[in-house]
Amino acid sequence: MRAFEQLYDRHCRLVYGLVFRIVQQAGSAEEIVQDVFLQLWRNAAQYDAARGPFLPWLLTMARNRAFDNLRLKSERQRRREDQTEEMPVICTVPQFEKQLDEKRRAARVRELMTGLQPQQKRAIELAYFEGLSHTEIAEKLKEPLGTVKSWIRNGLLRIREGLQATS
Amino acid sequence: MSNDLSNDVRSGDQFGELLEAYAMGALDAGERAALEAHLATNCPDCVPALQEARWLVSQLAYAAPEAVPSDMLRGRLMKIVREEAAREAPRVAVAAKSAVPYWMWAAVAALLLVAAYTSWDARQLQRQILDVNDRATAELRSREKIEEELAAVRREARILADPESVKIALATSQPEIGPLQANWNAKLGLVVSGQKIPQPAGDRVLQLWLIPKAPGGKPLPSQTVRPDANGNFVLLVANPPELMAETKALAVTDEPAGGSPQPTTTPKWVGGVS
Ligand SMILES: [Zn+2]
Repeated sequence: MRAFEQLYDRHCRLVYGLVFRIVQQAGSAEEIVQDVFLQLWRNAAQYDAARGPFLPWLLTMARNRAFDNLRLKSERQRRREDQTEEMPVICTVPQFEKQLDEKRRAARVRELMTGLQPQQKRAIELAYFEGLSHTEIAEKLKEPLGTVKSWIRNGLLRIREGLQATS
Repeated sequence: MSNDLSNDVRSGDQFGELLEAYAMGALDAGERAALEAHLATNCPDCVPALQEARWLVSQLAYAAPEAVPSDMLRGRLMKIVREEAAREAPRVAVAAKSAVPYWMWAAVAALLLVAAYTSWDARQLQRQILDVNDRATAELRSREKIEEELAAVRREARILADPESVKIALATSQPEIGPLQANWNAKLGLVVSGQKIPQPAGDRVLQLWLIPKAPGGKPLPSQTVRPDANGNFVLLVANPPELMAETKALAVTDEPAGGSPQPTTTPKWVGGVS
C-alpha cells in the first residue's frame, strides 16, 4: 500500500491535470483518475517493465479514458492502436533523457510550449487535449491542411529539442 | 499516399514525418492506414522512432494547467485498494508488534558491540551487499526512479497479497519520528517503508540490518535508502541476506553514503521478527 500511496501522491496531480484539461469537469475527472490508478494497481503485478516506462502508459490511458468520457468515438477509433491498455504499447525514452524532477519537467514543458509560435501551440493543443485530427484542426482554424501538419510536427520537434537541451 | 511510397527505399523519411501525429492520434484515416501498412513491414527506422514519438507526445501532459484532485479521491481510492488487498489475502492480518520490548534494545546493543570487535570479513560482506543489490536491480530491470516505484508497487502488491507475508513494525525511541513498516515474505522478499522520516545529514543514508537469532551472530547488512524531500521512502529487498526464520530483528541505522559492512551508529529503529 505504501509504495502505491507514494506513487499516487507523486503522479496524481499530473494525471488529474491532464484529465481535467480534457473533460473540464471536476467530478468526471476524479472518476477517471480513480479508474486509471485502480487499473495501475490491479495490473501492477503483471506490468512488464520491458515494454518501457510506465508513466507514458499511465498518461496515455488517462487521455484515452478522458476522451471516452467525452464520447469522442471517431477520435477513439482513430487512435485504436492506443487501446491496448492492459498491454501498453512499447515506448522508448530517448538516450538524452535524464530524470528531471516532476516540478522542473512541468515548468520546462510549459515554457517550451509557450516558446512555440502561437499557431504551432494552438494546433498541438487541439490535437492533444481536444483530440482533433489534422483535417478537423485545419477546418477549425481555417488554414491549409499542409500548414497544420507542419505546425504540429515542427512544434513537437522543437519541444523535443528543448527537452534535449535541458538534459 | 501513393503506393510507390512503400516501395521506395528512402520512404522511411516520408513515413517518419507522420509518426508524431500518429502517436497523438491526429492522423486522418488515409495516412493512418498507409503508415500502419508500412509499420507492419517492421521498418527499422520507423518502428523505433514511433516508440520514441510516443514518449515525446506523453510529455505534453505536463503542459496541462496544474490541478489538484480532492483528498476525498485519495481516500476513496486507497479504501478500494486496501479492501482489494485484504480480500486477496484474508490471512495476511498478522498483528503488528506494537512496541519493541526493552530487552530487544539491550540485545541489539550487545550484538553491535560483538559485531564491532569480532573478526570480520568485510570484503566478503561487501561482495554480499553488492550481490544483493545487483540481484534486486536486475529484478527491477529499470534505471529510472519512477520505474523502481512501480516495481516496488508490483512487488508490494504481491507481498501483501501473499498469506505467508509477515508484517513487522519497526519502533523508534525518538518520539519526534514515527515508526517504519516492514512486510516480509519468505519467497518474495522484504519491503520496508517510512513516512515523514527526516533525511539523514549530508549524503548519509539509512541502512537496513538483519539481526540473526544465532547467539553472537553479527548484524547482516542490507540495502540503503535516503528518504525523499517529503520524508518518504520504500526499500525493496528482493533477496534478504538471511532467512526470516533465522532472523531475530530488523534494525535501521544512519550510515555514510553507500552503507557500511557493519553498523557504525546505534539503530534508530528496531522491530522484532516473530
Ligand atoms: Zn519507415
